[in-house]
Amino acid sequence: MPNKYDLQTFQGLILTLQDYWMRHGCMVAEPFDMEVGAGTSHPMTFLRSLGPEPISCCYVQPSRRPTDGRYGENPNRLQHYYQFQVILKPSPDNIQDLYLGSLKELGFDPTVNDIRFVEDNWENPTLGAWGLGWEIWLNGMEISQFTYFQQVGGLECFPVTGELTYGLERLAMYMQKKETVYDLLWAHTANGDVTYGDIFHQNEVEQSTYNFEYANTDFLFYMFDQMEKEAKYLLTLDKPLPLPAYERILKAAHCFNLLDARHAISVTERQRYILRIRALSKTVAEEYYKSRETLGFPMCNKADAAK
Amino acid sequence: MDTKNLLLELGTEELPPKSLRTLAQSLHDSFVKSLKDLGLGFSSAKWYATPRRLALVIKDLDTKQKDAELEIRGPALKAAFDKDGNPTKAATGWAKANGISVSEAQTLKTPKGEWLYIKTLRKGRDTAALVPELFTNALKALPIPRLMHWGAKKEQFIRPVHTLCMLFGDEIIPGTILGIKSDRVINGHRFLGQKQISIKNADTYVQQLRDEGSVIADYDERKQSIISQVKAIADSVNGVADLDDALVEEVTSIVEAPHIFKATFEERFLQVPSEALVYTMKGDQKYFPIYSKDGKLLSTFAFASNINPSDPSSLISGNERVIRPRLSDAEFFFKTDRKHSLESFFPRLEHIVYQKDIGTLAYRTSIVEKLSAFIAGLTGADETKAVRAAHLSKCDLATTMVTEFTDTQGIIGMHYAELDGEDKDVAEAIFQSYQPRFAGDAVPTKPVQMAVSIAEKIITLVGIMGIGMLPRGDKDPFGLRRAAIGLIRVVLENRLELNIPEVVEKACALMADKFKKGSPAQAVVEFIFTRLKSYYQDQGIDAPIYLSVLSVKPVSLLDFDLRVKAVQAFKTDAAAADLAAAYKRISNILSKAGVSPEAVSDDLLKEPAEKSLVKALNAIEPKIKDFYDHGDYVKAMTSLSELRGDVDSFFDSVMVNDLDEAVRNNRLGILNRLKKLFGQTADISVLY
Repeated sequence: MPNKYDLQTFQGLILTLQDYWMRHGCMVAEPFDMEVGAGTSHPMTFLRSLGPEPISCCYVQPSRRPTDGRYGENPNRLQHYYQFQVILKPSPDNIQDLYLGSLKELGFDPTVNDIRFVEDNWENPTLGAWGLGWEIWLNGMEISQFTYFQQVGGLECFPVTGELTYGLERLAMYMQKKETVYDLLWAHTANGDVTYGDIFHQNEVEQSTYNFEYANTDFLFYMFDQMEKEAKYLLTLDKPLPLPAYERILKAAHCFNLLDARHAISVTERQRYILRIRALSKTVAEEYYKSRETLGFPMCNKADAAK
Repeated sequence: MDTKNLLLELGTEELPPKSLRTLAQSLHDSFVKSLKDLGLGFSSAKWYATPRRLALVIKDLDTKQKDAELEIRGPALKAAFDKDGNPTKAATGWAKANGISVSEAQTLKTPKGEWLYIKTLRKGRDTAALVPELFTNALKALPIPRLMHWGAKKEQFIRPVHTLCMLFGDEIIPGTILGIKSDRVINGHRFLGQKQISIKNADTYVQQLRDEGSVIADYDERKQSIISQVKAIADSVNGVADLDDALVEEVTSIVEAPHIFKATFEERFLQVPSEALVYTMKGDQKYFPIYSKDGKLLSTFAFASNINPSDPSSLISGNERVIRPRLSDAEFFFKTDRKHSLESFFPRLEHIVYQKDIGTLAYRTSIVEKLSAFIAGLTGADETKAVRAAHLSKCDLATTMVTEFTDTQGIIGMHYAELDGEDKDVAEAIFQSYQPRFAGDAVPTKPVQMAVSIAEKIITLVGIMGIGMLPRGDKDPFGLRRAAIGLIRVVLENRLELNIPEVVEKACALMADKFKKGSPAQAVVEFIFTRLKSYYQDQGIDAPIYLSVLSVKPVSLLDFDLRVKAVQAFKTDAAAADLAAAYKRISNILSKAGVSPEAVSDDLLKEPAEKSLVKALNAIEPKIKDFYDHGDYVKAMTSLSELRGDVDSFFDSVMVNDLDEAVRNNRLGILNRLKKLFGQTADISVLY
């Protein structure tokens, strides 16, 4: 069917992917409203991949990686960018074909463009998570990550969640044939064409300056400790609160990333901070699992009813 | 016996390319072994592997196991019956396990005793009935570091499994493995040819996959195709391709139908040190770099694709687009770094910790400088240059280029030093201080380069062993074994005379304040000389020769090597075994006697045999001493065989233990002189 959306715009790319995955049984979730390094940290992925409850979901997630900032001077690197995330649990047998279908939807003919699954296993030490999978190459360029989660928050994943992550800026640059991310066309609007640079260039310059030069490290260390304390407290309540605790962890992780950008953490210290976050992630995963178990894993019943 | 051809194929999602060959080979080996164990004959077995399949084709496989007469031995009679003659538990248990009663068992009589035993006929089973289990077991035995789950299935494998094809002749062997039912329908290429193919039998498998499925199943055929296509592209630009075998294997493992294309990048990137460009081309993109005939990187490269479109323009321009930002990164790092001299990076080494108990890279470098100067003094290398090279040797670790492309350490330092106008030997020594980096790597051959390379390795050994971090099992995080073997190679391949304990002592003195439990000097020297064992083993020189030299404790590796070569030559001499035996005998007599007199008096010589031996000794001692003093161990050792006749007749006709103490001591004196003469180059008693 002809595509409804203009693939020569960034918003058209997002809408096309949402439309495609919606047609293939996904709910379209909204982005998470806190700083995260990747779509995986969205509770829809990190928490929902735990336990037996099924899920089919996609969403855009703004992602922040302070160390990747380049003051708006590098054509490819950004400290704030977008991922398009799809999670399917249990991962269906035809998950690779579903993914390839989305590329066709974006206009890539696989008999003209070389599309390949290249081994790339994934590990996130702060989330206590790992999985096996690939990066997907389009004519030699990595455009997506494809992972079968095996462990999250230190817990074995079963059934397995299949996670697909599209790097939207890269994909758009390829489709719009642009040499720099700032030239990407976001939309044709009533006020004329709006580019990625119109919206984000100033942001990249200012945020890079803040991340690398002005972020107050004493404050960030203090905040890290406080967030950790708070999370621990929430997890040791008689009735633990894993969801708010998880958000405190994300805050702590972002402080850590900023401190990293400020080169405020030595190599040996770095490992200790990662382990502190990891320990909390594990406890959150366990408590979340228990809370769902107490509720009787309600999403399982719904799925059974749908069959 | 009837035979048929067998096809086994497991269709999967994309398998890890770096282990594809190992997986296929291992599947082949364990399946073939299980066929042999069951007595199933066949004429040939071959493995096939692509990113999405592992397969085996067994030709002319017996359709049935032969009936076999088995002789099964049970417990010894003594253990089979108690004193009343009733069968024991051991006997009844064994009988039950073999489906008989104890009374049905026979007795096996041998000179060593008597046992219960039975002869039984094992009915041969149909091969088709055995195959599913054998294939399952062979798959289970694959060397897989991490198994995975997928979907909601309980099975685990390297990657999700989609098809299973087991055909014996034209028939499907029914069965389910890893949750998949056996079928003749398998997947072709993802995008070319037919998506699904129905395989007739093992004989048509490869051809059907090729014709209908657009897949080349044969791993080595794909590999050869890649090599010849890449070569053709290199030829077309009058260049030579880098056909690094590991890279070719990896590419072979990520395509089912290899098609190689030519692409280019902008000439301007060629001003960046080519190693940095090649690093990203090969490592990140799996591209094949092409060099001119005189070894300069060209802007043309070759890349593999899994498809072959009639218009490859988007394929080629796509790949060119990908490499550009990566090369731009390298160019950016190069330009950023080159705003300063290499030396100006040195202060940053103050902030990079080498190892927390030892200190920073700056500290370590200062020690390497001093030791390089010391070694240069011993070997006659230019001290100033050696110190300069050592000083600069780690500066590149603080550059953005090496931070990003870690494998280029040393190489970037060398290039930057050249661009700074440093002396050529100094620049080369920066890179060569790392050499040899792996088995087969080149070793430095010029004096300054050698001095720094040796100092680098000895400081690694002394520093890390000094804080007690010895290698354990296959864990050797600081590469101590590699450092020792590297040191050995630099010294021996350059025939360098160097007193190892002396250099190690010097290094220990330089780092004395760092050691936790005193100086590691002796341990380091022993570690180095112990590594010689594997060094010689690799050259096919066996352990006894190494040990014979080790026991005379040479201090120089070169001296050690000369002695090893002499013992090797000596061992080929017909007299060697006799002389070694005589040497052992002499040593025994002397140690029993408890005295080792030095003097031999002609007046006390009685027997003709001892007179003749002493005469021979008198004649040969100065000759051998001369050879020995000149390091000609081969002649020193082979000359010993001239004494064989005299030594033999001495032992045949002379009693050492004469009643007269003076005569006895005189004879012991002769033996003592012989022992010294024999044992000079090596302890030949350990040779046999």
